[in-house]
Amino acid sequence: MSEENPESLLKNDAGKNKDKVFCTFCPSKVLNQGSATFVNIQFSLPYMQRKGDGQADERESISDYWLVEDMYTFENIGVSNTVENVKYLACADCERGPIGWHDLKTKKSYIALSRVKHA
Amino acid sequence: MAKKTYDLLFKFLLIGDSGVGKTCILFRFSDHAFSTSFISTIGIDFKIKTVELRGKKIKLQIWDTAGQERFHTITTSYYRGAMGIMLVYDITNEKTFENIAKWLRNIDEHANEDVEKMILGNKCDMEENRVVSTERGESIAREHGIRFMETSAKANVNIDRAFGELAEAILEKTHGKELHDAPDRVTVDRRVERSSTRWC
Repeated sequence: MSEENPESLLKNDAGKNKDKVFCTFCPSKVLNQGSATFVNIQFSLPYMQRKGDGQADERESISDYWLVEDMYTFENIGVSNTVENVKYLACADCERGPIGWHDLKTKKSYIALSRVKHA
Repeated sequence: MAKKTYDLLFKFLLIGDSGVGKTCILFRFSDHAFSTSFISTIGIDFKIKTVELRGKKIKLQIWDTAGQERFHTITTSYYRGAMGIMLVYDITNEKTFENIAKWLRNIDEHANEDVEKMILGNKCDMEENRVVSTERGESIAREHGIRFMETSAKANVNIDRAFGELAEAILEKTHGKELHDAPDRVTVDRRVERSSTRWC
């Protein structure tokens, strides 16, 4: 996905998202354009779908994220219950995710570029 | 500091017996294929939805009781800062309808007295299992002077309209005040923030 969507094409000169951000599975809008900032930060997100019983806790290491300073910047977002000081973010409409995470300490939210649609 | 991208913030609660489909109303697709996903295992705490009404951008923060109702522990702290309450029963379950009166008393006891309420008759199941008629729903709503709607979370019938109407009703209350009254709402924001410290 990151090869198809190099982050340089998705951000403007100020490092903000050029396009609107949508759920990849349904028409739900997550962010308006220019409302998030590109950051390089290492964080492992659980896979969107579990492949089988044995792989329940597998995670994918992701480093390209949209940083959202204020949670109310989101157009639509689902926020999970807390797991070890982190709340996972999902589509508000179809609940598929995690598409990112929210840090309870810093109150900042991060959306993985590879798990959303830019349009 | 990022500039505010919205005009108003409303905190909504979904209340009712467990099993009436409140989670459903939080727009969940009950598609079996995704029932084992990570998110459905840990559960959704709340959602932020954006609606536009009368040219104002309104953020709705929607909370589910997340099973607390089973332990009858819905108290003041949960209601704090709530501006709108969706009171949900299941049209295929008589008991959940009978308990609406009980929930209304609970709301009167614990919630802000000017909280805007709406009763929702939800049908996550099929119409053929209906035991509570639309008329009975309308009747209890009329009795208490609150709005009523039947919804189907599965078919997404009336869900957006229900949230929109409740938001509209709250906006109505504050309507007529001048725009400079907006700071008033910021106070509500802070209350919401404070009550949400239970995240930690």
